[in-house]
Amino acid sequence: MLYREALNLALDEMMEKDETVVVLGEDVGFYGGNYRVTEGLYAKYGERRVIDTPIAENSIVGTAIGMALGGLRPVAEIMTANFAMLAMDQIVNSMSKLRYMSGGKLLLPMVVRMPQGVVKQLASQHSQSLESMFACVPGIRVFTASDCITAYHGLKTAIMLDDPVIFLEHTLLYFEKFEFSKDSFYNPFKARVLKEGKDLTIFSYLKMVHDVMKVVTQIENTLNISVEVIDVGPLNPLDLETLTNSVKKTKRFVIVEENPKHGGFGANILSAVLEETFYNLDAPPLRIAGEDTPIPYNRKLELLAIPTPEKIYSKIVKWGKENGL
Amino acid sequence: MAYEIVMPQLTDTMEVGKIVRWLKKEGDYVEVNEPIVEIESDKAIMEVPSLRAGYLTKILAEEGEEIPVGSVIAVISESKEEKLDEKLEEKQKPQEKEETQKELVLPQEEIKVEVKQLPPATASPAAKVLAKENGIDIKTLQEEGKLPIPAHEKDVKSYLINEKFQEDAINFLKDYQLNPEDVAKTFSEKEKITIEDVKNFVTINNIPLKKSITSIRKSLIKNLKTSLEIPVFHIFTELDFSNIPKESGFTITTWFIKILGDCIYQYEKLRTRTDEEFYYVYPTANISVAVDVSGELFAPVIKSIEKKSLTEISQELENIKQKAKEGRFSREDLEGATFSVSNLGMYNVTMFDAIIPPNCAGIVAVGKIVNNVAKLTFSFDHRILNGREGAEFINLLQSKFKDDDYIKSLMG
Amino acid sequence: MQQSLAEKFYYLMKLGRVFELRAKEEYMKGNIGGFLHLAIGEEAVHVGATVAFEKGDIFTHYRDHVYAIAKGIEPKYLMAELFGKKTGVAKGKGGSMHFFEPSLNFYGGNAIVGAHIPHAVGMAYARKYRGENTGVLVAFGDGATNSGNFYESLNLASLWKLPIVFLCENNLYAIGTRIDRASAITDIYLKAKPYMMAKQIDGMDVFEVYKAVMEAKEYIQEESKPYFIEALTYRYEPHSMSDTGNYRSARELEIAKSKDPIERLKKSGLLSESYIKYIDDLVEKEIEEAVEFAKNSPEPEETELYTDIYCEVCKNVIP
Repeated sequence: MLYREALNLALDEMMEKDETVVVLGEDVGFYGGNYRVTEGLYAKYGERRVIDTPIAENSIVGTAIGMALGGLRPVAEIMTANFAMLAMDQIVNSMSKLRYMSGGKLLLPMVVRMPQGVVKQLASQHSQSLESMFACVPGIRVFTASDCITAYHGLKTAIMLDDPVIFLEHTLLYFEKFEFSKDSFYNPFKARVLKEGKDLTIFSYLKMVHDVMKVVTQIENTLNISVEVIDVGPLNPLDLETLTNSVKKTKRFVIVEENPKHGGFGANILSAVLEETFYNLDAPPLRIAGEDTPIPYNRKLELLAIPTPEKIYSKIVKWGKENGL
Repeated sequence: MAYEIVMPQLTDTMEVGKIVRWLKKEGDYVEVNEPIVEIESDKAIMEVPSLRAGYLTKILAEEGEEIPVGSVIAVISESKEEKLDEKLEEKQKPQEKEETQKELVLPQEEIKVEVKQLPPATASPAAKVLAKENGIDIKTLQEEGKLPIPAHEKDVKSYLINEKFQEDAINFLKDYQLNPEDVAKTFSEKEKITIEDVKNFVTINNIPLKKSITSIRKSLIKNLKTSLEIPVFHIFTELDFSNIPKESGFTITTWFIKILGDCIYQYEKLRTRTDEEFYYVYPTANISVAVDVSGELFAPVIKSIEKKSLTEISQELENIKQKAKEGRFSREDLEGATFSVSNLGMYNVTMFDAIIPPNCAGIVAVGKIVNNVAKLTFSFDHRILNGREGAEFINLLQSKFKDDDYIKSLMG
Repeated sequence: MQQSLAEKFYYLMKLGRVFELRAKEEYMKGNIGGFLHLAIGEEAVHVGATVAFEKGDIFTHYRDHVYAIAKGIEPKYLMAELFGKKTGVAKGKGGSMHFFEPSLNFYGGNAIVGAHIPHAVGMAYARKYRGENTGVLVAFGDGATNSGNFYESLNLASLWKLPIVFLCENNLYAIGTRIDRASAITDIYLKAKPYMMAKQIDGMDVFEVYKAVMEAKEYIQEESKPYFIEALTYRYEPHSMSDTGNYRSARELEIAKSKDPIERLKKSGLLSESYIKYIDDLVEKEIEEAVEFAKNSPEPEETELYTDIYCEVCKNVIP
């Protein structure tokens, strides 16, 4: 099943089950969604529940807050995380704080979903990974989806939660197929162990997970070790238990993230894990992240600015050899 | 001048497009912006126009074909009978754009590693914990060169093991594929574990040494097990060699092979193989002789014995001996026998029985010659011969050994 | 006077049109990547406004190719930028949506809808502050007029009395959403009327656009107050190369094409046949050379990734 189809299925099921679930965003209704995630919903549920908004991100989130206060469960779509910057005031100053400031009286059961990440030559204003901006604000949950199972279950759970959720997707993953069955089970508050190992843990999320899996066998063969790969899953809250248990076992960890290194979210993961596992470690931890530059238009330069499977392989092998593997 | 029309990039994520329908045919004239083909992208089916005017002189992609973006699908020329560039004909095969390559190219050369210049006492936390537990000082050991800088947990473990065991003890453990750490636990009071200690450990715990089986041996085992399926019966007999001329210049083995071969040539059942559907009767007498090569069993074949003289057979036996010494038999050397001979007489064995090799009708096990007489055990494949026939053959063999004229003819 | 203007318009509109068509072709061949938003059909607005505004600052949205050409940036540098080459206006790091040339007072080229409108307001403030009188023009689409950026800018421009022309290209669609489904007021100039001088014009007639923008320019330079123009126009192509455009009817497209600005100019009688032919050939050649230039230009070096992020010179300021 395609990743975007899994999201579509989750939305469809939730809207069918619960009359209060509504979808709003730019071109989500009549047009079918810029990435076809909301395809078919407009025809099925009508314009009352699938709302095409003008280009006004601040108001998309702002009105969704209002709808949530009024008893609906809005699922707002921001076309890409880059445009969410226009809504940052609503996200940071209202969505995350209304419950707290009201002493728990106000509930905001809403989801703001958006894709992020580098696609292909869309230039710097359309290619960012901005999870740090959201994950560091107390009061909102931040989920990520790296394949169909996490997308489907993650989005359904996000809609059912009474907390505001930022649901991060990746634009390039929309067109990829992943395994899926309705009987699958996934708790979006937990990290997932995608592959077990005993000498090294690699943490990652969103599209980087797949880039890691593409080279993990070669890394194992070159360094003669067994590698554990974990999809970090939620960025807020971090499933520290799973993350630290893994590192206590393997004693070494690497984080692979698409956002620029300086200020990137991997630093949070690194410090949280390091605090618990310092004495267990047999090597310094490694972060493989994007370059500290805006993303350029030229394709060759664009690929230099983010981690790729080849770079992940080389960097981990080099680091491994320099640190006792 | 010809203008190539390529599979267009219709959406920013498209990598291949499917030709749905050609709206024009070869030879048609096309205007600028006139739609010429319908193409299915990853989002929708779209009409694609020609961006030049001219004659559609060649269509290079069929309806229903999927073509990668960027590959040529048609040609527009200024004139109807434009001669096509040869290069274009080659380009007909859809080319892979480097982007769409799914195979990862990982760096082949050694990845350059930077050696860090660090002071002694530098070690990972895990190493330090282990060192502390065992009361060793990392800094001193690094200064003495016994631990690397920086030291990792496995370096400390390795050092501790080497300290705990004598060197020959460690090697012994390696042979037995035992984990030094586990063994060390049972000797916790001992300061230094010697090879005697380890040998004791092995004996007390009855730990076997694991030896690998060569592929030749594995193959033999497989064959022997197949041989088990053959319904076998044995005939025990004696053979009198007193008629063989004493100073013939030929070994007893040579005589035996020759006479046995001539009998086999006469007695077709011993030149027969079966797959239980049919009998396959081979035209000539081929006998294999069991030979030991450094502990491995081979059975090289002497072929067409009925045609060969004692001299020739003697020579072949010599060759076999030579090849055995050098350990080189070719596949041809080992194929084609329908009967086999095994001789343990030189090892003082008076009587034994042998297993019939695959594709043979039988085998004879020859014991030591005592007073000119040797005990023979024949094993026959009951699917090919029965007891009477086996006995008949043996009688033939024995009669040949008593036939003076025949024996004389072999000499001459 | 009319004739020389008409000749200039014809040259620039034709140059823009052929550039766009060629960019589309090169995109389909894979030489241009990412997003490509074509201005085919809207040449009258882009050329008329830019020529009228002459030396003033122009801020536009991402459908900026023809504005850039009309402002005087040579097509070959623009084509090279589309090809991602180092000879492009942004050294290959910006792409189609980010053409900038401050020496020509062209401030591009912005991808976040409506975000550049406050930038233009700030620029107008700075120009006024420094006593420079050439004025600022900011162009945006109908989709941008529903965002906070837009209303805040209208308010500030009139509150601070800034010499700025707001030019709204109303082509009726924001990707797939028609204006009546996104905006309560569909005559956009009416949104600005409470704040400033505002009018609606036919954006498919280059002379009308020129006249309106000239008037606006004179007004803002004299009065130092903002002016709003809504130009009714139409884009023939879908929103971008990733869009199928299935939300528009063929009939609507036909009607729009019947008002094609270039054809209209040809039929106006102000141009001689020989001139038209001369320009057609000249433009064909110029664009062909631009593509050749782009194709033969080198890619940027890998070190280019790390340049132009921070101001190297500024480091010297801190002792």
